[in-house]
Amino acid sequence: MWSTFRRYARIYGVQIKNNFVREAVYRTNFLTSLAVDIVWMVIELSFFSILYANTPVLMGWTKPQVYFFLGIFFASDALFTTFFQRNFWQFSDLVNKGELDILLTKPVHPVFLALSRWINLTNILNFIVGMVIAVRFAPAAGFLGGWHWLTVAAWLAFGVISALLIRFAFSIWVFWTERSWAISRLYYQFFHFASLPDTLFPKMIRYLLLTLVPVAFIGSVPARAILHGLEPSEYALLAGVLTFFFVANGLLWHAGLRRYQSVSS
Amino acid sequence: MSLGVLGWRWAALRNGLQDATAYRIEFLFEFLGSAFVPAAVQWIVWYALFQLGGATTVAGMTYVDMIQYTLMSVLFTQIRGGDQDFELQEMIRTGGLSNYLLRPVGVVEFVFIRGLAPKLFIAGFCLVIGFAISLFFPFSALRMLGAMLLALMGNIIHYQLGAALSTVAFYWEEAFAMLMVKNLIVSLLSGEKIPLNLIPEAYSWIWKSTPFYLYVFAPTQFALGRSSITQFAGELLLSLVWVVACWGLIRLTWGLSIKRYLSLGG
Repeated sequence: MWSTFRRYARIYGVQIKNNFVREAVYRTNFLTSLAVDIVWMVIELSFFSILYANTPVLMGWTKPQVYFFLGIFFASDALFTTFFQRNFWQFSDLVNKGELDILLTKPVHPVFLALSRWINLTNILNFIVGMVIAVRFAPAAGFLGGWHWLTVAAWLAFGVISALLIRFAFSIWVFWTERSWAISRLYYQFFHFASLPDTLFPKMIRYLLLTLVPVAFIGSVPARAILHGLEPSEYALLAGVLTFFFVANGLLWHAGLRRYQSVSS
Repeated sequence: MSLGVLGWRWAALRNGLQDATAYRIEFLFEFLGSAFVPAAVQWIVWYALFQLGGATTVAGMTYVDMIQYTLMSVLFTQIRGGDQDFELQEMIRTGGLSNYLLRPVGVVEFVFIRGLAPKLFIAGFCLVIGFAISLFFPFSALRMLGAMLLALMGNIIHYQLGAALSTVAFYWEEAFAMLMVKNLIVSLLSGEKIPLNLIPEAYSWIWKSTPFYLYVFAPTQFALGRSSITQFAGELLLSLVWVVACWGLIRLTWGLSIKRYLSLGG
């Protein structure tokens, strides 16, 4: 067990090193991708600034609370983008161009290799920006601080794992479709809903965002949990939904592999 | 049979439509997704503000006013620009531009016309929806037609700005980020996310000093009868001024930048 963990850690270390070298070569890319994400954050913050210029409270969320939520959401998304995002853009090619062949022949789990090849290290800066926003608005949002910051780390990890499982569930269909572009786009359409606190949604839609397409797990639920804590039933729901996605993804992966026809499938 | 000056332009338009609809399911997904999501996000915010939060008016607008704005703006959001500017920057970056430089067509115009085809198709579809709505609600079909004309002018301006920005790819490795930044700013300042009159008066100069509000906000307000004919005429004239100014900008940026083109990689 320990030796397996060490082997995977060593492989991941090599992947990080390779990606670091690649990013050091394309320095302009570093600056430009940073600029895009910063502008995206400014636009999201501006959207809520405009709303709060017209109302003091939005469904119980004050302006600092929403900014705190956005900080957590940006940080969680930046972590996902750093470690996984690009792998999913390449996921379709793995299957359609037969590149999965190589991964299947390696003595490590192919999913691990498929999801760890591309790491966008520069996005760590966006994580820092997200955390700066969260820290800046934490006291005014009613965050207790102190040891509670440890819960922030745990909830950020929860957000990243959720995003990983949901994104995987949207990508896996490439084994059955010729192009997964449309379904991937659908993920990003749903992702827009993640940029709003889930309590703003009407009951039915909110239920969907907590179960069928649980994008609320990426930022909204963690922010609520950090600020106010969750009900026991909500903890059970989170565990149940994530377990379902984990199991379903595993089954779909194996079913997909059975269908996979190697090169130019 | 030659169609004279329209010859290659007509062919490019037809080719663009065929290309966009070759993958019909994806075309439909793209259309529905880009229509549904911005509308849903807006509706959720209005629902939270008015229905759950108990507000009666926000910036002088009622819940019904907001919903009307949301539904109408979705129609014009579909028109407001495609990805042709991204196509241009990709051509410059990869050297694909060379193919077009050898042909007797203007590459900026060619790419625009190809991308315009699906937008014209969608514009026609949205117009039919608009006309249908005008049968049941107190909206004028003529106003709808005028608003769509303004939205199409917005489409031209949007592309022109993108085409000028794409020349950054001649200097840097690519212009992708620059175009993404432009699109993000447009998403807020065009009125696609929220009615721009929600922005406090002290900051209204920000959106008034860009042409972006002509893409969605101005057509929506006109179609809903919330701006006068005089105001509409002024906006149409202003959009013409922007088109001419952006045409000059394209001539300048492409004229200067093309000298740096190295065929494989700008």
